[in-house]
Amino acid sequence: MIKLSHINKRYPNGHEALKDVSFHIEPGEMVFLAGHSGAGKSTLFKLITRIEKPTSGQIFIDKKNVSRLSEAKVPFLRREIGVIFQDHKLLMDRTVFDNVALPLIVIGMPHDEIKKRVRAALGKVGLSGKESQKPITLSGGEQQRVGIARAVINRPSILLADEPTGNLDEALSDEIIDIFADFNQVGVTVLIATHDLRQVERLAKRTLHLEQGQLIGDYQHNSQENNAGNIQPGTSQEQQDG
Amino acid sequence: MGNYFIRHTQVFLATLGDMARSPAATINTVLIIAITLLLPSLLYVLIKSSQGLSDSWQGRPQLSIFLQKDASDAEAQLIFQEIQLHPAIELAEFVTPKQALEEFRLLSETASFDEELEFLGGNPLPASIVLMPNKQSANSENLTELKDQLSKIDGIDTIRLDLDWTERFNAIIGTVSRIGLLLSILLGLGLVLIVGNTIKLLIHNRRDEIEVTKLVGGTNIFVRRPFLYYGTLLGLLGALFSLAFLLLAAGLVDEPLSKLASLYQRQSLVYQLEAAEVAAIIVAGGALGWLAARWSVAQHLWRIKPR
Repeated sequence: MIKLSHINKRYPNGHEALKDVSFHIEPGEMVFLAGHSGAGKSTLFKLITRIEKPTSGQIFIDKKNVSRLSEAKVPFLRREIGVIFQDHKLLMDRTVFDNVALPLIVIGMPHDEIKKRVRAALGKVGLSGKESQKPITLSGGEQQRVGIARAVINRPSILLADEPTGNLDEALSDEIIDIFADFNQVGVTVLIATHDLRQVERLAKRTLHLEQGQLIGDYQHNSQENNAGNIQPGTSQEQQDG
Repeated sequence: MGNYFIRHTQVFLATLGDMARSPAATINTVLIIAITLLLPSLLYVLIKSSQGLSDSWQGRPQLSIFLQKDASDAEAQLIFQEIQLHPAIELAEFVTPKQALEEFRLLSETASFDEELEFLGGNPLPASIVLMPNKQSANSENLTELKDQLSKIDGIDTIRLDLDWTERFNAIIGTVSRIGLLLSILLGLGLVLIVGNTIKLLIHNRRDEIEVTKLVGGTNIFVRRPFLYYGTLLGLLGALFSLAFLLLAAGLVDEPLSKLASLYQRQSLVYQLEAAEVAAIIVAGGALGWLAARWSVAQHLWRIKPR
């Protein structure tokens, strides 16, 4: 589903954000992307959504070569990927409804259908009845959920979340991560960037570890085995998924 | 196809909503556009009115032939018939001394007209023939030749050719039309710059929205659509306002002008715009607005990329 092979990213200012990163995430997997801030997690997301282009290497999303995608096709790639941003990227002067509906308005869905879907999505993240509020009046956790509702409204096959529990307390963090686990249960491929190792251990999912732009670990956590470090051959880059 | 229509309706309504949310700024821009469009429209009406005036002389110079005072009626009729047969003449009208006097009496409005006439010792006016040449002959060269030919006829006193004045008038209208065209182009350009700048500000104000829309899969065409609508609507509203101003201006000058018109024995001097011309002004406003938005979007929208 998401395949990176020998990705390098150097920014115009000379900063090397990613160095020879390769991994492969299968459809329906839920994977954590761990590492300190500045390790290259955000850059990785920007490459997957074609906000940035890699300096070298190839990225495949659902068998499409993202780095070779023409500008005109980029919006269609983004429609397949739901992204939850660390800073939410909500429009503060619009209502919750308008924010969540945006991905559907973009594809020209009729208003009645949009209404139904927005209600359903807000229900799923526990924000029923807040349609007409402005995001600015909501708490940080609630804003994060509005972002999640917007990311899933178009039923994407991939969910990317950048530090979704960033500044939330433990209980709220658990709730948010559980929402992602629910989507993963119904077949959505989920990739969550986090430095919250508690969540990584709690869910015991596959974890990619980035350190200073390099992939230094690709672990499969087992519920019995809490000490990370058990590197599994897992999914190699050479494996073709079609 | 249905989706396409829905999308456009949504954008149209949203754009109207955006305009209504900042009424002062919208009205300001619309008025600037209206005034910009008003100047060439006013000039157009002015030129058209002047042309209407010149058309009342059928746009062609006239020749006035004054017969010798002592010519008898029979002689005058003979001359009239001879002139009528000339191939360069389309229309000839014979004016008897009596008719000329009546016309003079109507125009002079002097109460003591008859007394003055008596003082002169009877009707001093000669019989005359008013000629209108046909189209081919209505240029200065042919007319001068015609005048020479006619002056050889016995019994003709003088021939007056109103050539200079007609030519000068046509030349003035021609010059004013050219200036008007130039002015229209310059003001059209100004309008594009005004609307373009408004759209530029709008794009900057909506930076976040554009960024997020692109992040959730909005195409460039989708992102730019509201701005194109905005520009077009501003242009259309500006055109409607300028038409209103035009009506107002026409109303203001109508009264003094109709006094002038009565002197020329015409109903009105102010040119009434036809439906097609009204439509042309509205379309011009909308098209210039759209063009300005296109231009502004091409310059500024692509630079906004999600980070």
